[in-house]
Amino acid sequence: MPSSPLRVAVVCSSNQNRSMEAHNILSKRGFSVRSFGTGTHVKLPGPAPDKPNVYDFKTTYDQMYNDLLRKDKELYTQNGILHMLDRNKRIKPRPERFQNCKDVFDLILTCEERVYDQVVEDLNSREQETCQPVHVINVDIQDNHEEATLGAFLICELCQCIQHTEDMENEIDELLQEFEEKSGRTFLHTVCFY
Amino acid sequence: MADPCAVGEWVALVQELIINKDPTLLDNFLDEIIAFQADKSVEVRKFVVGFIEEACKRDIELLLKLIANLNMLLKDENVNVVKKAILTMTQLYKVALQWMVKSRALNELQEACWDMVSVMAADIILLLDSDNDGVRTHAIKFVEAFIITLSPRLPDSDVPRRHEGDVSLDRVPRDHPYIKYNMLWDEGKAALEQLLKFMVHPAISSINLTAALGSLATIARQRPMFMAEVIQAYETLHANLPPTLAKSQVSSVRKNLKLHLLSVLRHPAALGFHAQITTLLVDLGTPQAEIARSTPSPRDLRRRPR
Repeated sequence: MPSSPLRVAVVCSSNQNRSMEAHNILSKRGFSVRSFGTGTHVKLPGPAPDKPNVYDFKTTYDQMYNDLLRKDKELYTQNGILHMLDRNKRIKPRPERFQNCKDVFDLILTCEERVYDQVVEDLNSREQETCQPVHVINVDIQDNHEEATLGAFLICELCQCIQHTEDMENEIDELLQEFEEKSGRTFLHTVCFY
Repeated sequence: MADPCAVGEWVALVQELIINKDPTLLDNFLDEIIAFQADKSVEVRKFVVGFIEEACKRDIELLLKLIANLNMLLKDENVNVVKKAILTMTQLYKVALQWMVKSRALNELQEACWDMVSVMAADIILLLDSDNDGVRTHAIKFVEAFIITLSPRLPDSDVPRRHEGDVSLDRVPRDHPYIKYNMLWDEGKAALEQLLKFMVHPAISSINLTAALGSLATIARQRPMFMAEVIQAYETLHANLPPTLAKSQVSSVRKNLKLHLLSVLRHPAALGFHAQITTLLVDLGTPQAEIARSTPSPRDLRRRPR
């Protein structure tokens, strides 16, 4: 097992559903985990597909909760958004944008290809300082509650396996191959440097 | 000490105190901290490496005393210590060269210290052949920095703001009493050869390939005299992806190649290679609009501030 605990980040688009579900499970399992979104805004479903609720990353989960409660308590209770926001505000005050975080991670898990691209592009656009590597892995997760739960368990299992490797960087390639076979999914994987 | 976490915290605390708050204490604590280089705990040995880096960045003269310690840590039995020592050498190599360049009156100790630095750099380049994938990844990053240091900065070199003050070959005086400009230039070019050779190894791992692709893009942008070699390497790789890569690894590598090609395309020195780069990008499934967005017009290139 590596001598120090892995510093993990989970990233989706709005830091609401998929990344927060994974954040929740990973922190309950004792990981040092942070979560982020890569979008320019935080988007939540609205009364129609073309009318999402859009917030900036400064808005707290609590403020969003109260806003939606006021707008249509029944709709947002029924579609689970209030429940999700309630869960989120127990984890941290507000969503965080990945591009604004300068903290260093060992492992970053993204929840869809577009988010992976944005994370990799952002990391590559930063000026390199320490050359310390960070592995970025994409696990495709559809943006709904059920898939977020399943995806979070998969991410958690993956993190546990990586944490338990003797030498993460030497074993991660093989481990991901095994995981692909076992889960029937494919993962994008790259290394970036701080 | 029994508890590695406690020792680690102690070293970090001392490091913060004497390096950032009161450097006059450095001399008093140096030997005490360095004594931990043989500690049983990997974390503690890594802390010692980090301490050497910070101490030498603060006062490069300390390298005279610490280079032998760093060399031992570079040969540590634990790969995590070796990797940390490679990262430290990636930072210290250029600081050491700058120190040599600045000192016109050298003594034997300083010359011996630089010889040691050079030997260690050569040892790290050999680690491109290490059995350990992570050590190889770290060696790639060292080689990248080594090539950039040992080649001249050109007017159209992209220089990250953080590295503006870094030494590069053009700052090495041709009449330096100990450092030989031509020898360093040859070493830099030889290191690029090594990196290019490493990249075409049929059993290269996808992660090392990814790291090498990124290093080549950085080298091309910062040292445009190598643009042709880099584009050639990208073309060769695209046509001959290692057979050992799994399907998803091929997707990851192709995605990475696309990202780096787009970043190189933006560079003025890539102007003569637009046809090759565009062909590669189209093969990689890049939409024309995306290629067009990253292609500077000749007029933009002329206007580019130098």
